[in-house]
Amino acid sequence: MNQNPYKPINGEITNIIDESPTIKTFVVVPEEKFKFKTGQFVELTLPGEGEAPFTPSSSPAETKKMDITIMKAGCVTTLLHQCKKGQKVGIRGPYGNGYPVEDFVGKQVYIVGGGVGLAPIRSLFLTLVDRIKDFKSVVCRFGAKRPDDFIYKNTLFGSWQKIDGVDMKLTVDEANGKWKSNVGVVTTILSANDVNIKSAVAVVCGPPIMMKFSTLKLLEFGFKPKDIYLSMEKNMSCGIGKCGHCMIGKYYVCKDGPVFTYEQIKSYPNIWD
Amino acid sequence: METVFISKLKPFLDAVAEQVELYVPKKVGDYYVFQRYDSSVEAAVEFNNIRTCTPVKEFLFPLRELAAVFPESFEPEDIKPFAIFGLKDCDLRSIEILDKVFLEEEFEDPFYVARREKMFVISSDCFDPGESCFCNVLDGKSYADSGFDLNVAPVKDGFVIEVGSDKGKEFIEEHSQLFTEVPEALLNERDENRTQTQKQLEQNNASLKFEAPIRDVMTDTQDSDVYDQEATTCVECQACTRVCPTCHCFYLYDTKQKDYFGKMKMWDSCMRLTYAQVAGGANPRKVLGDRLKHRLMHKLAYFFDRYGINMCVGCGRCVDAETGDIDIRTVLRKLNEELMNKKEAKAAK
Repeated sequence: MNQNPYKPINGEITNIIDESPTIKTFVVVPEEKFKFKTGQFVELTLPGEGEAPFTPSSSPAETKKMDITIMKAGCVTTLLHQCKKGQKVGIRGPYGNGYPVEDFVGKQVYIVGGGVGLAPIRSLFLTLVDRIKDFKSVVCRFGAKRPDDFIYKNTLFGSWQKIDGVDMKLTVDEANGKWKSNVGVVTTILSANDVNIKSAVAVVCGPPIMMKFSTLKLLEFGFKPKDIYLSMEKNMSCGIGKCGHCMIGKYYVCKDGPVFTYEQIKSYPNIWD
Repeated sequence: METVFISKLKPFLDAVAEQVELYVPKKVGDYYVFQRYDSSVEAAVEFNNIRTCTPVKEFLFPLRELAAVFPESFEPEDIKPFAIFGLKDCDLRSIEILDKVFLEEEFEDPFYVARREKMFVISSDCFDPGESCFCNVLDGKSYADSGFDLNVAPVKDGFVIEVGSDKGKEFIEEHSQLFTEVPEALLNERDENRTQTQKQLEQNNASLKFEAPIRDVMTDTQDSDVYDQEATTCVECQACTRVCPTCHCFYLYDTKQKDYFGKMKMWDSCMRLTYAQVAGGANPRKVLGDRLKHRLMHKLAYFFDRYGINMCVGCGRCVDAETGDIDIRTVLRKLNEELMNKKEAKAAK
């Protein structure tokens, strides 16, 4: 008998960090060895309640535990937000392709992120920063609704700003008194002048509307559709390319994605909805 | 391939039923459904001229099953060997399609694997194709030439049984006393019947012709509003996806039992409004026409692009089951017309 792909391994929530009014990071320790590549996702089960897909936000180099940053958005995530330290969970995966980091070597990595979309991006960011000399530069253009809505505030407003080789700009839709940076949607801080178009790849992750307009902007800058990497959020359920819920055209987002180049999916209907 | 002759079905099916659980077609109203064979009843089986109205997938991939137990380990229950009599070429091709999904690529579904290995397939030739049968348009035939363990073809005074696998061969050898050699004339009769039925299918579907390979018709008309027009009568009953022998979407959900937490696997339907919806509420196919489009594009374009075969076998079950009057053949006809008009308009420029 083959291994049952529907069977989760056991794990435990060992710490919970409040990130924003609607977002928490859960530190999950699997009982068995668990390795993932940055950008791959896991199916997290709350026993007896339900299961939902999340991309870990920690570095894959950290193998004993993983951070899973979760926005309260639906049934399972609302219940997860009520959980306390010590909660037993199930973990299936890792699933999908992840970010092709090796293909980014020697290039400028232009990362556009918004809202809870910073979760997968944090994992990628930590992976890139670990070997920052392998890349021309890492450009980060992140947005949130209000300053409070940014996740990973401590590092985002602090140490990440000071890393050699990283160029970071932040924006909010609505500022408050203390906010010193840009105000406006994330596309307002994207500029062709910051892009080394001859040798750059773009990574976009965030709410669908933000991904759509960022992609259009990046195309305007001269990015080729094959060089724009999109983290697609679809209804990944089985995780193994069978149940059908997450399909975009011929692709299963859970198996062939969740990271796609715009080139791969641009001809299919309703990709941004 | 090796063939043998038997004059009556009953001794043959009795011999099968002695070894394994056997399911046979039974006529209920206008349609055939599968039911457990009972050898104590003299007229336990009648030869089904066409396919059953229920799909064979329910034997391989039941409506609902327990897929995992948490936190204890769990393997599929001991699945007993079983046999099905009366499957048609369209059914066998639907199994081929399900195999692609559940057996190929890097993950196998252990529950499907277990049932698939235990299934003994006895197919049979078609006669009098139904009004909704259009398998010939999708490379199907009125008879099978592969995918079975044994195939039964009625002829005058009996049945020609063809061996299609080692399992089938073993069965015939074990029961050699039941069978005799097939006279050449009966083989000719069988082949003549096959040709006749195939001709009839082609006549019935003569008006269903395409400008281009169906995959291209679908892809080149993906912006068509035919889907929205056709979907106006859809009542979202999901019967089309239930009876479809190739639809295989399922829903995984968690349950709390007294002694364990379970993960259940249940048939799902892409025609359902919230099928593709994510937690934040985003839904790529809020519009019914978009769901109809996705269903048909999946069958005739996306699946083809991924696996190299169509995911529709032309069995017409969805046509028979339709509550809302949507006929896949009409949709295809309209899309083809649209493609022709497009081409003409382009040529005129």
